[in-house]
Amino acid sequence: MKKSLVIALVLTLLVSLLTGCGQNEPAEEPDGSADKDVYKVAYIARAQADSFAAWLANAVIEEAAKYDNIELDVFDGQANDDTENGLIENAITNKYDVIIVQPNNGEAQRPYVEKAVAAGIKVITTNARISGIEGSSSVDADPYLQAKVNCDLAVSQVPQNANVVVLKGPPGNFHADERRTAWQKEFFDKRPDVKIVGEEIANWNKDEAMNYMETWVQANDKIDAIIAMNDNMAAGALEVIKGNAKYKSTLAYGVDGTAEAVLLIKEGLMTSTSLQSAYDLATSILDTTNKLVTGAETEINMDIDCPLITKDNVDEFIEMHKKAGAIQ
Amino acid sequence: MNMINNSQNLWSNIKSKYSIYFVLIVLFVVCWLANENFVSTENIQNISTQISVGTILAFGQTILIICGMLDLSSASVLALAGVLSVSIYKTTGSLTIAFIVAILVGVFCNILNGLMVTKFKTPPFIATLAMMTMARGAALMYTNGQNIYQIDEYTKFGQGQILGMPTPILFMILLLIVTWYLLKHTVFGRSVYAIGGNEEAANASGINVDRIKMRAFIINGIFVGIAGVLFMSRVNGGMPNGAIGYEFKALTAAVIGGTSFSGGIGSASGTLAGAFIVGFLDNIMVLTGVNSYLQQIVRGAIIALAVIYDIWAKTKRVGRKKGNAEG
Repeated sequence: MKKSLVIALVLTLLVSLLTGCGQNEPAEEPDGSADKDVYKVAYIARAQADSFAAWLANAVIEEAAKYDNIELDVFDGQANDDTENGLIENAITNKYDVIIVQPNNGEAQRPYVEKAVAAGIKVITTNARISGIEGSSSVDADPYLQAKVNCDLAVSQVPQNANVVVLKGPPGNFHADERRTAWQKEFFDKRPDVKIVGEEIANWNKDEAMNYMETWVQANDKIDAIIAMNDNMAAGALEVIKGNAKYKSTLAYGVDGTAEAVLLIKEGLMTSTSLQSAYDLATSILDTTNKLVTGAETEINMDIDCPLITKDNVDEFIEMHKKAGAIQ
Repeated sequence: MNMINNSQNLWSNIKSKYSIYFVLIVLFVVCWLANENFVSTENIQNISTQISVGTILAFGQTILIICGMLDLSSASVLALAGVLSVSIYKTTGSLTIAFIVAILVGVFCNILNGLMVTKFKTPPFIATLAMMTMARGAALMYTNGQNIYQIDEYTKFGQGQILGMPTPILFMILLLIVTWYLLKHTVFGRSVYAIGGNEEAANASGINVDRIKMRAFIINGIFVGIAGVLFMSRVNGGMPNGAIGYEFKALTAAVIGGTSFSGGIGSASGTLAGAFIVGFLDNIMVLTGVNSYLQQIVRGAIIALAVIYDIWAKTKRVGRKKGNAEG
């Protein structure tokens, strides 16, 4: 009995593996002609396990379904440069018409993207772009600007001689570093009276941010503002102080505009965030793809908007997430 | 002369048995002196809450490591059990069902671990490594990589309090007692030590090795399921990529606490001490604002020093055979 169960499990596994491989098969057919009906597009995600990357990949899949002339295959870079580079090489070998790369680390993927361009394949880099490769296109949001729209608000909102805490993304990550730079130039340099009483790397994670905030609350009598490089970490810090009267007026800033963040803004716990919309990115990515394959344009570099979300306009973003099913 | 010898023996015996608690106490005093906010009910409560999920995983690891095995899949199974539990709660609205589902998922994955180890003689390292990937994949697939929000009442598990004590700490204490009792006062516990000490001898003495190993995995599964509920509840969401790296937190706590990777040695209270050593360190470095890169170096160095001291203190025992550590 036990044995047959195990055999059944192993068989299920094998079957799922085989069908998984089967999905990629059509891509292997070599077809170089320019006026085909259907174009093969490879989307190489940074990591399907990263919630923003997964949101973006899902949005790209949805958007691609709207185009009859585009057939999309999605690959997972598993947050590993080596894996991601290998996937780009495979996509070149398999003669995809377009390769869309969401880099794990732009500089590590650069030579492989260059190789793809040299092989005559159209390449789009996104979130974050790899700039300066001739012949490649890009769709991105500007991380500096994403933080800056929050800074502009914070400069006037944060009280005099405030104590603030800062939660950072992983070091070396382009978006993490650029957002922190923006806070430095657009906020801290303009407000020398503000004191940073704690600054830690929480790696975009909610649980790590919670742990740091719990400790900061012990060490400081007042924390006037939480400055987080993404919404996940801001939400983690807020989890610690919600319901605590002492921190009722604590301000909290994030980036991304996640479903959780807009709900926190609606509740009045979070102050502001800026939207990095995976839907907008996906729409622009597919539009760019279409323009490239139909020959309407040969190179496109564009940024999507990063609107500031505050209590005043939060309802429209709650609607956006409701439509996507992220909020009930 | 004899008396001096006796008292020396006694002292070295105490030192070897309690060396890790000695490290913990020294660290506590150093932290106390280093920052005035360290010793306060709230801060100690915070530290205890923060280490609870990792420590509960570590209790499961302790039983497995003593038995000569380990579990690399615990954090991934935690995530799978957690997201399924959260999602069941959202559809049924029942905290009880959600809690049971988490435990069932934990147990199911660990039965698979156990089958791989006992029936197919897969090394536990490989078997649980395979499960680590599969469970994480399943959690991500089930949620499509997205977090589940708006979990309302579910937060009671990890953010609630009973008699002023945060629930995760109560769970941690409860499972400490369970682990201690299982290891020290049951036939199962004695068999676990025996298998870890010498599997062939245990087998020859009539212990059903496979059955004990399977039971160790099932108990680990229950612990992982409970940890899953606490983690998701604490972060107020179902997070398929949550708790990444917690399997190593758990292994670290167990090993600092004196559990030996060669099997047969270890205790629940030692593991708890190991978890607190790491917890104190992390806390004091944030309180005093140590540079976050330096924190990683210091953490690594102190872990190495604590274990070196512990081993040094143990091997100074003269003319005594290594026995089981106390519980």
